[in-house]
Amino acid sequence: MRTAAELNYKEKGIISEIDSSHPSSKRILEHGFTPGQTIELFCKSTFNDPIAISIRGILIAIRKSEAGCIKLK
Amino acid sequence: MKTATALQVPLITLVGPPNSGKTTLFNLLSGKNYKTVNYPGSTVEYYTSRILSKYNINAELLDSPGIISVVPESIDEKISVDSLYSHPKLGVPDLLIITIDSCQLSRHLLLPKQLISSGFNVIIVLTMTDILAKRGLKISVNKLSNALNCDVVAINGRSKQGVENLIRSINSNLERIKVSDKKNIIPYSLIKNKKNLVDTFKEIEEILNDIYESVKVDERIKLNSANTELKILQVNNIDNGFTPDEATLKIDRVLLHRFWGFLVFLLVMGLTFTSIFWLAQPMMNLVDELFTNLNTLVIRNFEPGWFTFLVSDGIISGTGSVLVFVPQILILFLILGLLEDSGYLARGAMLIDKPLSKIGLNGRSFVPMLSGFACAIPAMIAARTIPNRKERLFTIFIIPLMSCSARLPVYALLIAYLIPRNKPWLGGILLGSIYLFSTISSIIVAWIINKFTKKIFNTEDSSSFILELPSYRIPKLSSVISHTYNSSKQYILRAGPIIFGFSLVLWFLTFFPNLNPSVETAGITTEQIQNLERAERLEHSYASDLGKLIQPFMSPIGMDWRIGLSLISAFAAREVFVSSLALTLKVTSEDDEEQSTLLNSLRNAKIEATGEKLFTVATSIGLIVFFIFALQCLSTVAVSRKETGGWKIPLLQVFIFTSLAYIMTLITVNGLRFFGIQ
Repeated sequence: MRTAAELNYKEKGIISEIDSSHPSSKRILEHGFTPGQTIELFCKSTFNDPIAISIRGILIAIRKSEAGCIKLK
Repeated sequence: MKTATALQVPLITLVGPPNSGKTTLFNLLSGKNYKTVNYPGSTVEYYTSRILSKYNINAELLDSPGIISVVPESIDEKISVDSLYSHPKLGVPDLLIITIDSCQLSRHLLLPKQLISSGFNVIIVLTMTDILAKRGLKISVNKLSNALNCDVVAINGRSKQGVENLIRSINSNLERIKVSDKKNIIPYSLIKNKKNLVDTFKEIEEILNDIYESVKVDERIKLNSANTELKILQVNNIDNGFTPDEATLKIDRVLLHRFWGFLVFLLVMGLTFTSIFWLAQPMMNLVDELFTNLNTLVIRNFEPGWFTFLVSDGIISGTGSVLVFVPQILILFLILGLLEDSGYLARGAMLIDKPLSKIGLNGRSFVPMLSGFACAIPAMIAARTIPNRKERLFTIFIIPLMSCSARLPVYALLIAYLIPRNKPWLGGILLGSIYLFSTISSIIVAWIINKFTKKIFNTEDSSSFILELPSYRIPKLSSVISHTYNSSKQYILRAGPIIFGFSLVLWFLTFFPNLNPSVETAGITTEQIQNLERAERLEHSYASDLGKLIQPFMSPIGMDWRIGLSLISAFAAREVFVSSLALTLKVTSEDDEEQSTLLNSLRNAKIEATGEKLFTVATSIGLIVFFIFALQCLSTVAVSRKETGGWKIPLLQVFIFTSLAYIMTLITVNGLRFFGIQ
């Protein structure tokens, strides 16, 4: 299954679930990454990590290791 | 649970997610006349104030740190949440005012949902309604109020529109609380039938389906003429949330660009760094001069005696060493405040996160570390912006390794001594190499210390970097200035007494017991007599006894007790090393020639026991290496103690960095000698 960490530049995806075993999962949910939300990869940082994701009308920078627990449909 | 004083005046607490306009509202209601309260034993700080008298509300207003949810994860988050529910000094708030960004309702409504289910009386303040209006939308305050069962007020922080509605709402809420019984507040984590995060967000989305309204046609025309480029979204187009602000996305295409973004970042940080360096220098010199003049004034006009010296060299110089850092603190916080307020700082943290994460740090460690090249004191205070406890402590831990500006006079003296007079350009290269060497070695040391972070910092927060990149906006100068002012005030009030106290102790050590030395006075000026007296006094002081005590440590690195004594004096501030060295080598000259004659006396100085030259190439380079690593600044120790909330980290820093400095000097001096360089 693809995750938000694997999105390509400008690609959109719909969140299916958040991997609750990840230590950051609660923090990710609190930022509004909930199932059903459409997200888009806005850009990657110079070193490819972290990435900036557009969600709920805002850009959020997130490390790839943490974006990996955002599973997409 | 409530204290007696809190009972008389109702407590209103301001809560809100970061970037929701909470501080703007606080300034609006308090008129910036605020004081800080510290949660005991932590660095989490709160601002409190009475509400401005013109609003005619008798209540205490408390500003709390920005949070997005009330389920804490780290220790600092727990402290924030606990003191929101029941502040140790001010008690349980009677009323909460929650600021919410209108453009981000779907994320920001989580916090009020949680707090309302905890049983708090809540007023929701919608901010940034002007930005929403530019998108052709507005929020139906009544519908939102009905859906959440609390008062909702829309406010424009810049034009102050809507403030009178908020005041009305505060008054009616406070009256209602007076007559009704005190509500039972339950910590959110203890609520049994609470919904999980996903369900809470679902509820929020249901509420949102229904509350947006289109801005009236005539209003829209007005807004359009002011800003024709902005797209007007259709009301039925919003169920998937908005797209981020168009202008922000345009700017970010450059500022977050893989190549250009990083270039701009290096440029911005380079400018910030040099301006703390160069802008602050004249002001620091001014402070320095002021206190030196005060000092001379006292010495000239009063009978020499221990009391005069206590006032001049103890109290006045001690105050000077506290205040000399204020210009750098002011400039650093002003620039950082402007960058933060504009929204750029979050982008910078994102760009540099990857390399820093390799050595156990965080993107947000960068600015504090860079500031450390100017001065460790504002740098440690700037580390407060790092939310993760482990990463914050680790950042504070390695900040003293950054080559701060106080080391420059020492480097300058030794470089001038080392290079031939006809090749001044060599000095620039040497100084550049010192900075390069210190940067590379800091990275290596940080990498090694990172292996032991669990033992040193006793916390196991999982490393995380999730950071909102707020929409760009023009920074609000007045709030940045008031924040800068308060940070500087905090530094003087908190770190000041400790630095001052240490300065007095050091004064005592360098002045006693030989307070009134007798010197040959024939044929020399008063100035020279004073310098001779100082040298004599220092040579027979307790500090000098200490210096002689560490002689066995100094010999292996080719130095003697006089350098040891100067190193001890340098604990007051590193730049004191130069003047103290001048004193111990009995330099009796006018100030303006101090360096050139000091250079001569460096050339002539001999080790007393052996008669060998004291300052050889090897020992001079050794001294530079010592200064690169050693933590010998009492002010830094004092601030580290304050910012880490204990003595463990500052003491470890002194021990680790000073022994590292000693070992590295030992290797350098003996290594150079091994290769035939004396």
